[in-house]
Amino acid sequence: MESDTERIALGLRRKDVAVLETLVGQYQYRLVRYLVFLLGRRDGVDDLVQETWLRVLERGDTYDGRYRFEPWLFRVARNIALDVMRKRPMFSLDSNEDIFRSSPASSEPSPYTLAARTQDAERLAHSLETLDPVFREALMLRFQEDLSLHEISAIVGAPVSTVASRIYRGLAALRPQFEEGRA
Amino acid sequence: MKIDSHESFQRMVDESLAGVISAEKEQSLREHLSTCVPCQQYLSANNRVLSGLSGFSFEVNPNLNAKVLAALTLKAQQVSSTQPGRVPFLRQHNVTFNIWAAFAVALSMSIVGSALVYRMATRLAVPTHFDIAQVQIGVLVFWLLPSFCAAFCLLAAHGQKRGIA
Repeated sequence: MESDTERIALGLRRKDVAVLETLVGQYQYRLVRYLVFLLGRRDGVDDLVQETWLRVLERGDTYDGRYRFEPWLFRVARNIALDVMRKRPMFSLDSNEDIFRSSPASSEPSPYTLAARTQDAERLAHSLETLDPVFREALMLRFQEDLSLHEISAIVGAPVSTVASRIYRGLAALRPQFEEGRA
Repeated sequence: MKIDSHESFQRMVDESLAGVISAEKEQSLREHLSTCVPCQQYLSANNRVLSGLSGFSFEVNPNLNAKVLAALTLKAQQVSSTQPGRVPFLRQHNVTFNIWAAFAVALSMSIVGSALVYRMATRLAVPTHFDIAQVQIGVLVFWLLPSFCAAFCLLAAHGQKRGIA
């Protein structure tokens, strides 16, 4: 009997638009959220989302269905974000992940401030804005997407120990917002 | 309790949240947390961070899905029209048939021509100052044999890669 991931892999190999339509419906919000956490901005994310799905259509045959679809999708999205940022002249001298760090601040309000729906989220919004993007990304993938460290490692192309370190350091940066005396 | 002991347990809290803690350490951490207030506060602060992270709801452009699907449909049509596997069967068949037909005519002409020259070897031998046998061997080696070699090569290539188109 075929698993869900095998069905997805088969549909992507056939370039089946109906399968893609289902995937878009299922993963669109999570893709947007991932890219916002990665880039720290909302503008331009829609274009990256569209580019990601087009890449999924083109390179879908490289997904073999043995593992979950989300890590593969996020990996595709991350590579596209890197490509797009790299093409911008002002970022051309930066190495891979430094590109995310050097993303200029938008004149619009922080996407986290706009998206905060709880008091705890409101308290985190500003810290998230200034947090190193790779820490933000690791926290989001671990605690929002519930991915394992191995899956995150495959997405970001870094060793598991580095991913774990990013999570610890990200938590350490955000924790003071909720420590005794500040609550 | 020593500060470095708290630090080691707080490190375990981080490991537990990251999902990389061993079962023994997890048990040890649980026992410690039941009695240690600073480590409980540490865990509580971490849990508030996690709660805060789940408290964001990003607006998605309501037209984004439709825009993406339109782009995907267009791209899929472009991809399918350029895929070699989607070339109509009859078109492939026609190209293959033409090539094989031309080859068959060429080979037939080669065989018939060779046979005629072979039989006329006595007449050709006189003006060319060769023996009859030399002319016949020449016809076989330099005319007929290359034709058969070409035929075998084509058949072998066809076996390796089905379809010439």
